Amino acid sequence: MASELLPEFFALLGIDLFLMLSLLSCLLDDRMPKALPYVYQIAALAGFGHLLVSRNFFTVFGDYMRFWYCFIYLLVSLANIVAVNIYFAAVKKQWTLAKVWFGAVSFPTILISVFFVSDYCYLHGVHFPPFLQIALVVSAVIMGTSFAILLSTKTLRSQSKEEKEVR
Amino acid sequence: MELRKIPFRRPLKLLFLLLTSMLIATASAAVYYSLVMQPSVTITAAVVAFKEGSDWDGSWSMGTNNTWCRLALKAYPNATLTYDEPLNLTNTGAPVTIRLRTVSISLASGNPQVSNFTFINFTLHDETGVIKGSLNYTTSGTDTWSTPSMGFTAMDASDEWYIAIQTKAAAGAEANIVADIEIAVDVQE
Repeated sequence: MASELLPEFFALLGIDLFLMLSLLSCLLDDRMPKALPYVYQIAALAGFGHLLVSRNFFTVFGDYMRFWYCFIYLLVSLANIVAVNIYFAAVKKQWTLAKVWFGAVSFPTILISVFFVSDYCYLHGVHFPPFLQIALVVSAVIMGTSFAILLSTKTLRSQSKEEKEVR
Repeated sequence: MELRKIPFRRPLKLLFLLLTSMLIATASAAVYYSLVMQPSVTITAAVVAFKEGSDWDGSWSMGTNNTWCRLALKAYPNATLTYDEPLNLTNTGAPVTIRLRTVSISLASGNPQVSNFTFINFTLHDETGVIKGSLNYTTSGTDTWSTPSMGFTAMDASDEWYIAIQTKAAAGAEANIVADIEIAVDVQE
């Protein structure tokens, strides 16, 4: 029998997202604050501590409490990903990078998180309304298609040509 | 020499971050795995439990959660007394296999009073009345009990079986001799 998801899975997912953010911000360090990769590493370490506390107080904390503090940690990591996206788009005015970030990081991570949260809720008897499930699938298809169009060679070439003309 | 001037500063930084990331990710995954593998015990109702049958006597006791019961039975000298349906067994969960097993009998073999009994039979019937097994304590007029045993038998979910009991004392048996029999119901889930 497959073991069902524990609430701590969301904390684990949050830790991995922070680590990914740390590595990406290191790769993009010319566009982002220098200390950011280390800040994200510390956030991931905090998540690790969070998991250790959860393990030691496994029987004391109920399922409900464990779910919420792990879920909030995951939300914080997702908020950071979105914040970086907004930073590229609104502060740095780097639209191409913002689009790529959205397509390659923000959208997939949000989609994966929604998938696992809905799976967890389903296993615990909480059902997502059908219209929300349909909306999720439709938005995934639309966003995936738009991502493919945005990153197509033709669009990228025209974009770089426009940028050169502006310069 | 300033660190900034070293040309490999960025790859080194990336390598450092990559190594620490791998360390944190591995340690976190190990902690999560230990959580998944942690054994947990959940209290649930017993899958098979006793239930008062149609011939249940008000003076008998049914234990908390119907996991034990105590019956005070009679035996008549030179006459068979039958309790048709004093006690039922219900399966509220998944299919299981069950059996009746002797735990103890207080008038131990060798005691001269044992010969006052002829037999005490416990027969397990399914919901259609088919015999699924029995524990027959017989003396054959001696001071030695036979040692009955029963094999496991399959019981489906939601089945309600019953135990029939027959007793008989020897002709001219002494009154007020008591034999205490303790029987367990073994359930394999």
